[in-house]
Formats: sequence, C-alpha cells, structure tokens
Amino acid sequence: MSSIKEKFNQISPSEFFYRNRDLAGFSNPTRSLYTAVREFVENGLDACDQKGILPDIHLTIKAVDPDKPDPKPYILMVKDNGPGIESKHVPLAFGTVLYGSKFGLKQARGMFGLGATMAILYGQITTNKPVTVKSSTDGKTSEEYEMLLDIQKNKPVILKHKTKEVSKQGLSVSIFLEGDYSKAGAKIRDYVYQTSLITPYATITFDDPKGEKYHYPRIIKTMPKPPTIIRPHPYGIDVETIRRMIVESQFEIPTIDDAMIEKVRKDLGLSKKNLAFTAIMAKAKSRWKNLSRQVRVVIALMSFLKMDFDKLSKIRIEDIDVPNKKLFYWDFGDSQSKSVDMDPESQYYRQLTNTVQGETLTSFLNKRFQRVGPTTAVKFSEFAGFKPEKRIGSMSNQELVKLSDALQKFDDFMSPDPSCLAPLGEEPLEKGMRKFFNPDFLAVIQRNASAYSGFPFIVEMGIAYGGDISTRGIKVYRYANRIPLLYDEGSDVVLKVVNDIDWSRYKAKGDPPLVIVSHICSTRIPYKTVGKENVADRQEIEKELKLAIQFIARKLSVFMNKRGQAEAAKKRANLYAKYIPLIAQFCTELAGKKNEPNIQKILQEEKPIENE
Amino acid sequence: MSKKSDKKAAALQKKATEKQKNILEMLKSHGAKIYDDLDGGQFPKFSIPSRSVSNIVYDKKLRQYILGNSTALRSSRNTSQLRSFTQLMWLAFFANRLTNEKKSSTLRDIYYSSQAFEIDFEDQSESDNIIVDLEAVTSRPREDFHIFPEERSSIFGDLNIEYTIPGYEGKSMNLSNHPDGYAIGPSLTTAELVDTSAEIVIAIEKGGLFTRFVEEQIDKKFKSIIINTGGQAPRSTRTLLKRLHDEMGLPVIILTDGDVYGEHIAMVIKSGSANAAHLRELTVPDAKWVGVWATDIEKYKLPTIPMTESDIKRCYDLQKDPRYLDGIWKKELEVFLRLKRKAELEAFSKYGLTNITEKYLPQKLELAKSL
Repeated sequence: MSSIKEKFNQISPSEFFYRNRDLAGFSNPTRSLYTAVREFVENGLDACDQKGILPDIHLTIKAVDPDKPDPKPYILMVKDNGPGIESKHVPLAFGTVLYGSKFGLKQARGMFGLGATMAILYGQITTNKPVTVKSSTDGKTSEEYEMLLDIQKNKPVILKHKTKEVSKQGLSVSIFLEGDYSKAGAKIRDYVYQTSLITPYATITFDDPKGEKYHYPRIIKTMPKPPTIIRPHPYGIDVETIRRMIVESQFEIPTIDDAMIEKVRKDLGLSKKNLAFTAIMAKAKSRWKNLSRQVRVVIALMSFLKMDFDKLSKIRIEDIDVPNKKLFYWDFGDSQSKSVDMDPESQYYRQLTNTVQGETLTSFLNKRFQRVGPTTAVKFSEFAGFKPEKRIGSMSNQELVKLSDALQKFDDFMSPDPSCLAPLGEEPLEKGMRKFFNPDFLAVIQRNASAYSGFPFIVEMGIAYGGDISTRGIKVYRYANRIPLLYDEGSDVVLKVVNDIDWSRYKAKGDPPLVIVSHICSTRIPYKTVGKENVADRQEIEKELKLAIQFIARKLSVFMNKRGQAEAAKKRANLYAKYIPLIAQFCTELAGKKNEPNIQKILQEEKPIENE
Repeated sequence: MSKKSDKKAAALQKKATEKQKNILEMLKSHGAKIYDDLDGGQFPKFSIPSRSVSNIVYDKKLRQYILGNSTALRSSRNTSQLRSFTQLMWLAFFANRLTNEKKSSTLRDIYYSSQAFEIDFEDQSESDNIIVDLEAVTSRPREDFHIFPEERSSIFGDLNIEYTIPGYEGKSMNLSNHPDGYAIGPSLTTAELVDTSAEIVIAIEKGGLFTRFVEEQIDKKFKSIIINTGGQAPRSTRTLLKRLHDEMGLPVIILTDGDVYGEHIAMVIKSGSANAAHLRELTVPDAKWVGVWATDIEKYKLPTIPMTESDIKRCYDLQKDPRYLDGIWKKELEVFLRLKRKAELEAFSKYGLTNITEKYLPQKLELAKSL
C-alpha cells in the first residue's frame, strides 16, 4: 500500500503533463507547432489586455536547418510589448509546470502559463535545447534567462542569466521545437489572420520560415473594457465548490500555544499578573467589547475548561463536538484525552459554536455569491427548507447536496453578472470586419448577456456581404473568448445555427459571398471535446446565436432587397430602352405613318431613381 | 391566251387583291392602335386568345378543337412579356411587308430575317411560336401572311389549276404531267381549282407508297388524285384537301401505317389538331380513314413489329381524347393495345409489290363507300 502511494506522489506535474502531452495539443509535429504558436501569442495578448496596453505581437518561426525535410527543428519566438514578468518570477513561470489556477471568475483566453510551459516542455523533449526568456518590466533593463526544465523534480535549471539594457518593455520567449511547417503553415497563417480580425486593437506580425511576412496593423486604438473578477453565481456551483467555499469562510479555532496565551494575557492587561480562573473571566467580561475574535474564542474555551493560563498551557484542544456539546482536549501532564461538557445556556457557548459552525446560511449566500441580496437569501432559505440562521459549518453531507440542488432550482436569482466578460464590442468588430473584407454590406450585433448553468456569456456576431469577399458560399469565422476555433467545425453549434437558417428567406440565394464572424465569450465555454475547438449546443447559447444571426440576417435582407430593387429597376429601364424604340419603329410602318410616335414620355417615366 | 381566260385571270387577281387588302387593313388597324398608345404615353397592350390547355375545347358541331373564351393580356409594360411583344410586333411588321410585296417566306426564313432587325429569337421554335401568336391574334392562318412551312408533301392526278400568285396569274397546269408529283406549296394552295376527272382523293402517309401508286397508275385505275402527306399533313396540304373536298366535291380517304401515329395522322386531317385550335377551315370532317387498321393486321396476316413503350403511352393518351370515344377510332385503338404490335404500309410487300394496289386498295375503296 505504502509503495503505491509513494510512487504516485513521485510523479511531478511536469512529468504528468509530459506523459499526457497529446491531451494538451502536442500529439505530433504539425499540431504541436500550431499549438505552441497559439499558446505564446495568446499569452502575449492576455498580458497586454490585463494591463490595458495596446498589444504589439511579433511571431517568428525559423527553420534551424532550412534544407532539411519536414518534420524538423524550428525556432519559435514570440515577442510582446506587455508588462513583462519580474525577474525573480521568470524561472518559476517558465521553468515549472504550475498547477491550480486563479480562483475566481473572469474571462481570459487561457489559463496563464500552463500551455506555454507545455510548449517549452515539448520543445525541450524534441530538441533538447533550452528556452530563452527575455523580460523587461521597466523598458530600461531586460532580464535574460536560458533555462531547462527538470521534468522529474519540476524545477527550472538556469543555464545563463544576464541583464541587458533595452529600450522597450515586454516579454520575449523563444524555444526550439520539432515541427512540420509545410503541414501546419496554412493553419498557422489562418490562426494569425483570424486572431487579427478579432483583435483589431492589436498589431500582429508573423515572419514565416519561407521568408514571407504577414503584417496586420492595428485598426482601432481603443481597447475593450477589461473584465473584472467576480464572485460565482449560485447557478454555476456544485457540491464540491460549496464545500471549498465553506472551508474558506470558516474561522479556525486558534491554536493555543505560548504565543497565543501571551497575546490573550496582554489584551486582558494581565501580562505580569497571575490571576485565578474566575478572576480572569471577570476581567474578560469587562473588556469583552475590545477583544478580538481570536481572543474571545480562547476565553470561551477557558470558560468551559475552567482553567487558568498556567493550566491552559499544558493542554491542546482536540475537537469541539457541537451536536454532543462536548469539548475534547489532550492533557500533556496526564498524557491522555479528556472531555468536558459545554453548557448550551452559557453565553460562551454561542461564541464558540458560531466560530466552529461558520456564518449563517443567509450571510454566506449574501457575501460569497453574486446576485444574492439579504432578502433573496432569506427567500431562498425558505425555498430550500433551511432556517435562514442555519450555520453552514453544521451542514451534513446530505444537507449540502440539498443546498446545491436547491441553488440550481431557485428561479428568483438574477442572471449572472456579465462584468466578468470582455466582449469585443460592436464598433471594434465592425471596424475590423470592414478593414478585412471591404464589404458592400456589413452588420454587427452584440447581444445582451445571458447565462447557461450560472455561467454568463455574450454572443457577438457580424455579417459581411460582397466587396472583397471572393469565396462563394457562407464562410464562418468562429471565436470563443477571442480565440479563433479552426478545427472540428462540423459539429460546432455556430455552424449548426448558420446551416439551419433558410438564407433564401433573407434574399441570399445560391452561394452568396458571405462572411459571418461569431464570437462567444464566457467564463466557461462549453467545449465539446478536450481539443477545445468546437462549442457544444447548449440550448441557451444556441438561442442567443439564433437571435443574433436572425437580427443581422434581417439587415442583410433589407440591403439585398434595396439592391435587388435598384438592379431590377435598372434592368427594366434597359429593357424598355432596348425594345420600346423597336416597337415604335415597327408599328409606324404597320400603321402607315410617316413619323415615329413620341416614346420619350414612357421611357422617362421608367427611368430608375438613382440611389446609393 | 383567249379572251375568256383573260377575263378569268382578271377575276382571280381581283379576288386575290381583295383578300390581300383585307389582311393589310387588319394589320394596319393593329399597328395604328399600338402607335396611338405609344404616342399617348401609354405602354401598348393587346389581348390574345389563351392557348393554354385549359382553354382548348372540343367543338362537337365543328368537329374540331377550338379555343375557348379566355384571353390573355399582353402588355409591353410587363418586362417578362416585352421581348415577345416586340417579336410579335416585328412579325406583324414583316408579314405586312411580305403581303404588300407579295413575297412568301418559310418558317426558317422568318427566323433568319429577324436577325436583321435586332430581334433576337433564340431558335426557330421561338419564332415559330410567335407566328402562332400572330395567327391567334388575327384568327388568320400564317399562309394568309405568306408564311409557309418547309414543303414535303406532294400531289399527283388529273387536276387542272390556275395560279393566282404574282407573275403566274392565269397560268394553268395539269397535275398529272409530272410523275414525281407536284410539291404542295403556296402557289398550289392559292391556285384556282379548275376541273378534274377524278372521283376521289387518296391521301397516303408515305412517299414510297405515293411513288408506287403513281407507277401503278392508281390515278387512272381508280379515278383518283393521290396526295403524299409526308407523315403528319402540313397545313397547306390540309388546306388543299379541304378545298378539293369542298370546292370539287371529292371524297377524301386516308391510308396510313398500321399504328397509333397513323391513326392520328388521319384524325388530324379529319378534325384538326389541338396545336391549331386557334384556326378553323383546316379540317375535312368527312374524310375517311380506311387503313391500315389494327384489325387489318390480323385480317391480312401482315408482318408486324412490336409497339414501343411510347406507342403504348400514345394509345392511352388518345383514349382520353373525345374524338376517340366511339366508332372505328375507339375500336382500333383497343385492338392496337391488345396486339401490342404494329404494321407499316410496306408490310404488304411480303405478298408481292403490287399486293397493296391490286388487292388491299380495291377492297378498302369498296369499304369506304359504306363507312
């Protein structure tokens, strides 16, 4: 038994990821090169977003030996103008696999660091070369590290470290890795193109291994409002999360060691005085108002133990058994466990149980969740069948499940707070699309925030017709949290919604030159697969997508109608101009007249009204 | 030329001029209406009898298909009709010239002539269709406008005619002078039928048999005029048949292949086709179909070939036609469907080349008297 446990413990996070690298998108040289590009570019964009810096991302991929056939080693370098990383954090951020991510809800492209470290790990495995990180937080000096990752120990091994003078702040990461650009190239170029489209406030440059430069300059200079970190919504919570939240909310029973006793004596003004138990209690009572919670708990414990400070220093509290009203402690002198009964009528009893059992349910809901006010909390307690003053720490497992179920079923919570979301916004989306497609027609919409299972989300959509769009048929660009989704489009909910639309109803028949840009942002995108390339058809999301697309499609249909009418009028006028004179000519001879009839009147009448 | 024939020629010419004048007057009045509309700032329009299936009805009294009362409005304002409107205007204009200049033109000529006027007919069937429109609007056959189909039917027999067409007025001709027969064209259709010794007209479906009949001197043996219809009889041939019947008092009998198409060739001569429901005066209601009947196939033990699927389908289609609801028309269709086989006129050759003229024809001529 113990050996198995030992073995399990020995697997470091790096080793775990090393063994499961295909899950993270590093299954083969083609996919790996693409995934590595994504991870670094998205890290750069995220870093800039968080600090409100207009991003300037430079991606370079170079073959180590251009003449070798693919797959072969490449150098991948991504440079941003973000805030950089403090020198002392660089080795840990890039030389270890960090597990656990930020607690709290906020939309971001990815979990910071994890994917990038995987890329570094993959590069090291395939080429045995170190990663080079250059970071400048002040725009004056740059800390440059060359590091390897000790996979087994999950520790960075610093090979070189130097400081240089620079003129720009930002971070640059460069790795060697085995890749296949001939196969991954198209996807990477698509990725860069589509990322630029959804990030019109960024300048993105890509130097590819063949010497081509893809440069997408900034289109707008305003950044979307950054998201804020917020408390969870009751709908988006499960039993395990509640348990973790309760643990965080509880006050611990302070450890009664010498330092603690010293603090209590000091607070009671008894540092130099040894008083008997009853005297101490009296003193505490008189000073109660000014005592801290910790000290109050110690006094409460003493009231049941009936001990003075001297005796108190010889025991250790083991457990407070609230249901049986017993207090257990270990007596160092007798070397045995002892217990005393607690009088529930005592004023100290409440002090103690409140501490042990945590907040009341209503206060817990009100303080720890978004969208739950005091009134709602009371209403909910009744709905769930709990007393509002029920202490959350006293809840049994069964009660927790009941609480969790009731949270999902209660209808009166307001929908989740979308302030944790960072949609692009209608104007930037429109400007980006206009620049990219130069269309004859363009419409965008940002839907109001909605929620599925307690996770807020916002759908943004744009449609462009004609202009520079040369493809026939509908081309859909899918995004989730500003990341382009390039793979597995077949089973995606966006595609489903687009395909379900009867486009002929919107006057877009045949294979219209149409581009649709769909952006879903959420604190949790419901991906169908681990690959995170297609969004599952959650009913609420599907509905929002449908409403969005119907809205912009209606605008398209208005445009197409107008255009159709103008074209038809022109066509009619052309037909009249061609045929009416002929009719005039023929009927003149037929009627035996000398002069042709005056046809200008009807031709004038049918002249199209010039619009647009 | 004698004085008498001069007088007659003059009379003929007067008659032809009269007819031409009427037609020109009519075209002029149509043209004037269009002209006035245009000049008044109106999009010209006119109504035309509907030629849709629902408007084609069988007239028992006339014993032919005619158009019903529903009409369609053709407006030059309607852009989907503008092109065909213009085409029809051009055709009226062109027909007017033809009639004025006494020139004739074939359907194909029309198609090509249009190209000189920027009238873009896509193909001849489109121009043919516009010609039918002109017939429907004016209730006159295209021949009245000097428009004729390409000829393939011919006539032979003792018949004296006098031409009325320009340059030949009063010139006469006997139609038994040339053993290959005479093509039935505009000059023959419009010629005056003077006299004949024949007592019957035999219309026969095939050129080969026509030649045989001439060789075997059927015209003399049975005092007949022989006409090769060349399959489905063209309008001009049907006009001539009608005139021979009406003006010369000659009975008309019809000999066709022993199949459903042959039966229908006879029927069209007798009572017209749905395609020409807008025209009258093209039928010979008293004409008699004498063979080859389906019953003849068995009676004369003719060699046969199996009917195709389309033959059989045609039988079922014709069974819905009101004209096939009684008499031999109904009976023979049923026998064809029972036999599922057909026989050509040439099938008689199995029993010798002259079998058809020496055995079959006399029997049928005898039979025709009782039909």
